[in-house]
Amino acid sequence: MKWQRKDVLAIEDMSVDEIRHILHTAKVMKEILMRPIKKLPTLKGKSVVNLFYEASTRTRTSFEMAGKVLGADTTSIAVAQSSVSKGESLYDTAKTIQAMRADLVIIRHSSSGSAKFLADILDAGVINAGDGQHAHPTQALLDIFTMEEQLGDMNGKKVVIVGDVLHSRVARSNAWCLQKLGVDVTFVGPPTLVPFEMEGLGVKLAHDLDSVLPGADVVMALRLQLERQKSGLFPSLREYSQLYGLTTERLKKTEKQSIILHPGPMNRNVEISDEVADSAQALIERQVTNGVAIRMALIYLLIGGSSNVVA
Amino acid sequence: MWWLKDVWVIDPSQTLSAPRHVLIKGGQVLEMFASMTEEEVLTIAQGESVETINGEGKFLFPGLIDVHTHLREPGQEEKEDILSGSRAAVRGGFTTILAMANTKPVIDNRALIEFVRMQGERAGYAHVLPIGTVTKGMQGGELVEMADMKAGGAAAFSDDGKNIQNAEVMRLALEYAKITGLPIISHCEDKDLAGEGQMRRGMVSARMGLKGIPASAESVIVARDLLLAEETGGKLHLAHISTTESVDLIRQAKARGVNITAEVNPHHLIFCDEEMGITDTALKVNPPLGSQKDRESLIEGLRDGTLDMIATDHAPHTMAEKSRPFAEAPFGIASLETALSAIWQHLVVPGRLSFERVIEAWSVSPAKRFGLPGGSLKPGAIADMVLFDPDFSEVIDSTQLVSKARNTPFLGKNLQGFPVMVWVEGQLVQKNRTVLGK
Repeated sequence: MKWQRKDVLAIEDMSVDEIRHILHTAKVMKEILMRPIKKLPTLKGKSVVNLFYEASTRTRTSFEMAGKVLGADTTSIAVAQSSVSKGESLYDTAKTIQAMRADLVIIRHSSSGSAKFLADILDAGVINAGDGQHAHPTQALLDIFTMEEQLGDMNGKKVVIVGDVLHSRVARSNAWCLQKLGVDVTFVGPPTLVPFEMEGLGVKLAHDLDSVLPGADVVMALRLQLERQKSGLFPSLREYSQLYGLTTERLKKTEKQSIILHPGPMNRNVEISDEVADSAQALIERQVTNGVAIRMALIYLLIGGSSNVVA
Repeated sequence: MWWLKDVWVIDPSQTLSAPRHVLIKGGQVLEMFASMTEEEVLTIAQGESVETINGEGKFLFPGLIDVHTHLREPGQEEKEDILSGSRAAVRGGFTTILAMANTKPVIDNRALIEFVRMQGERAGYAHVLPIGTVTKGMQGGELVEMADMKAGGAAAFSDDGKNIQNAEVMRLALEYAKITGLPIISHCEDKDLAGEGQMRRGMVSARMGLKGIPASAESVIVARDLLLAEETGGKLHLAHISTTESVDLIRQAKARGVNITAEVNPHHLIFCDEEMGITDTALKVNPPLGSQKDRESLIEGLRDGTLDMIATDHAPHTMAEKSRPFAEAPFGIASLETALSAIWQHLVVPGRLSFERVIEAWSVSPAKRFGLPGGSLKPGAIADMVLFDPDFSEVIDSTQLVSKARNTPFLGKNLQGFPVMVWVEGQLVQKNRTVLGK
């Protein structure tokens, strides 16, 4: 298929063909990434700007590496040292980046919708690296890539996503992506973090983890933001961990060789036990590798133009 | 003297909706007849020159009275000031507007009340009547000097923009305000339930990942304030009602005879949360847009009189403030210039509301409840009035708006049905959509 988009902002409005095309491209990118000399001239002379308003290690580094492998010049704007800390608005920052003629901007921002806001202003392409609690499309793509790599076609399979779904852009993007590909998705967590209105995403909702584990092919734990306890959303880490923490014992209830995913960074022994995190079932490091491949694919598709490295 | 020929007069204060000839003289409505000849008019004029307007195909009604506007002066004149706001008012068909007290500083003493009133008089367009705060500094604690502020021209008291969280303070306010006869206007929002919410809590907020404000943030305070009004016998007005549950509570309280009135904003009658996109900051408003069911309940409440009034909650902001990611943009819609037209096009034309009910709710009822001049075209009444052309259409264009603000969801859109002439005390202040100079 011919790639048409200027931006990648959310999975919600993507077609299955587009998702398939990205995953296919990422497969080629992963081969390149696994080479001993991983550097291509494909995007020589293209500039990619990383605009990260939230702290991030893995996502920012992943985008930087992806751009560099493809030969692009990547610039990271560290917001704390920039004019943003002098109170410059996203609107004015966008105009400034526009004037520097960047080809692609990767944005992470704490406000839902900020990626679309930026994309509406810029002629350059925009990739959403996480906007508030709204979307994190590259995470969802690397997750499905990892699942398919391990389990093959996911159509008809069952994925259980555990934890703070209400505040999770990872859960939202995964819900859209997985359901488009025919996966049965269940969100599970306390009612304060998995409220009834999440049904609007088309997924099943549950509050008892043990009852939804049987038959799960994939169990994904979400990072619990520890400050949620202070706002009264759950009483204690102890009780949370007892009810929703992934342990070896509990995971036996899936009655199959399920795989365990986590978007990181983990709170060990809160949402996931040490034993599970370090087990062969957990593909958490593989997710990180695949993340680079997915981001290479997207950068390539958005600004690779007529070059045909993956033809 | 003005002679408005063959115009369809809507005046719910005298249950009139029929073609009439209307004579205006000395700032007042002189007479109204079913038919009139030029000779008869000249006889009545007694030599005074007569301006004749052919009103065929147009409506004439008492000028709209808006009990809920934010004019931002003093303190936030980059958003709006009393001059620009009152010009926007007459462009939109409003001849009296009540200015909310959450300016900088807040309007919590007589000197500030008089300042706002006098700025309105200096502007000389719509009548501008100040609303004072209920509590000093709008801090929700000690009451303001209500009697003194009334003497300075206050039309009501409200901490609008902030809720009075302490129920005892609200109870005392309803009691004490009795000596003024003026209403206490409740902002109807529990601040803990509303939290840091950005839009109505529901499936749309869940999908967009925006923090939600539950409907209960409004209705629990509505329930509380209805009970306090009932217990004290105080005079309560509920601002910007937006939920089904609130409408039900008000309906029940009215059936018990509680002394309350309530208003609804045009945007809650027209839009709902499902129509919002994640960057539509023009639709970011507080209280937030509700569900389709809420919208239907509000229309029904307005039809059956549970909701007494329409009020704009005109909330001007700068483009820079609204050109931000959704969560960072301020709440509010600037609507004085578009509200009447929007209600006409979205509710009257499709037959959801009668135009008579709209005029009653936007002119007659506010005049009655707040004890204001206007709201009637009976002979002898103040000639605050609007000539409305249902065929006049206009693309809402930022270069045409006279408000300083551009934060309207109708920007760039076509609306049809506009006030084409507006009089304040018999003086023509707007003609063919242009606000006349002074």
